[in-house]
Amino acid sequence: MIEYIDVHKAFDVPVLSGVDLTIQTRETLSIVGPSGTGKSVLLKTTNGLLEPDRGDVRIDGVSVYHADRDQTTEMRRKVGYVFQYAALFDSMNVFENVCTGLPRDEEKRARSPEVVRKVCEALEDVNLDPAIVMKKLPSELSGGMRKRVGLARAIVGRPEILLYDEPVTGLDPINSAAISRLILEIRERTLVTSIVVTHDIEQALEISDRVALLTHGKLRFVGTPAEFRASNDPVVRAFADRQAAAQAAIQLVERDDRDEENEEGT
Amino acid sequence: MSNFIVRSVTGVLARIGRTADAAFRHTGKMTLLALGVARATFTGKVSMRDVLDQLQSGGVASIPLVSVTAALSGIVTSQQGGYQFTSSIPLYVLGSVVTSGVILELGPVMTAIVVIGRVGARITAELGTMKVSEQIDALHSLGRDPVAVLAAPRVIAGLISMPMLVGLANFIGVLAGIVAARFAVGLGPESFLFGARMFWHSWDLLYSIAKGVVFGLVIPLISVHMGFETRGGAEGVGRATTSAVVMMIITMLVLDAVFPPLFLN
Repeated sequence: MIEYIDVHKAFDVPVLSGVDLTIQTRETLSIVGPSGTGKSVLLKTTNGLLEPDRGDVRIDGVSVYHADRDQTTEMRRKVGYVFQYAALFDSMNVFENVCTGLPRDEEKRARSPEVVRKVCEALEDVNLDPAIVMKKLPSELSGGMRKRVGLARAIVGRPEILLYDEPVTGLDPINSAAISRLILEIRERTLVTSIVVTHDIEQALEISDRVALLTHGKLRFVGTPAEFRASNDPVVRAFADRQAAAQAAIQLVERDDRDEENEEGT
Repeated sequence: MSNFIVRSVTGVLARIGRTADAAFRHTGKMTLLALGVARATFTGKVSMRDVLDQLQSGGVASIPLVSVTAALSGIVTSQQGGYQFTSSIPLYVLGSVVTSGVILELGPVMTAIVVIGRVGARITAELGTMKVSEQIDALHSLGRDPVAVLAAPRVIAGLISMPMLVGLANFIGVLAGIVAARFAVGLGPESFLFGARMFWHSWDLLYSIAKGVVFGLVIPLISVHMGFETRGGAEGVGRATTSAVVMMIITMLVLDAVFPPLFLN
């Protein structure tokens, strides 16, 4: 179980202003919201990449920020992170990149049949052919393949929690659908708890048990995809339905125009 | 008019305050980085293979450029000294001037400048690129300590290679000085070495190597720190690299100025 307790984070301006959220074991929750509202910041507080200014994040009851060294090591082993642009190590080939997702002692035995088997399995899990991609450098891969290798690196150590940061950003619709299908397959196969930060509301509604809408640093909505679709909240509506979003944008522009005309009139 | 003066003074004071604040923040973070490197080293978390890789790319690969720079420093010092001493001071004194000049100052400083340009800038650009492409975050998320994996091998390699490079630069600089003295002012090697021995202090060599150790610690520390602090894409990497080079050169020259009153009096 993952608990966010009154999480605050500011850079030059406040980004997260008191987020409280609980994610149950084996649940998939998507966090959606406009750009710059702190979705990725919230995700990065989950495994200690960003420390909240106030509040706490707990995994299975253990604080991410007040754990001792052994608990931190154990917690990091539990959590896999899929980065927005894969964040593969440029100087390593695909095999070596995926190896880094294994515990250190296994990574040191990179040529052992056991480790090679695990890496191959992880690559096959993300629908990549190990024989073709293993020796390639990240610069030789397409965007979709890089994301898959990033996903393979995150799952090779069999984590209990997977954090996805914008997994389909920058991908064409076919690759986006393939990644969504992979997220579902991995969840069903490994029973992993997943948090997905995404702009793609269709993806969020398709793969999630619950959807959370983050606006202005606070959670505006948390509920099932069906509740999300049925919500009367205008902001949720704008996200749930592209037509409503377009309508909201037009109304916003018209209101701004009216305000300008009124100012000129006075 | 008085308002203008108040504004100007306030502006200058604010600027001094911001610079001091930045200097203290950088110093604090670098101190923590140095402690992290020491902890990683003494707890055996640093890969020997990574240290050897850094020794190769930062140390061994710098030998040609360090050698050329040291040789030219020795030649120039010898020629200029010869020009000034001819018909005024006994020429064998040139041996002492060149040896002392190279060992006390030119060897360590010119080597440091080469290493800053060749290795320090590369480290900042390399780690800065890793930072902006989230590779350092990826290390964190995979349970690897970037200080142990990235910083420590570079600092250890700097500490080992820099004194050796300074020693090499001293040797080549003095050798080039001997050759230049022979051809520029007709001073033979025996007379040159006679002059060098006349004013020789063994302490000077230790002093020179000590400078190498200090520069070998400071250069990788600053370059790694600036790499870790990089923000904002390709432009940010360029900005961080430029700032790192400026910071390394100024720090190195300040430390160089601190050495004589501390160790030569």
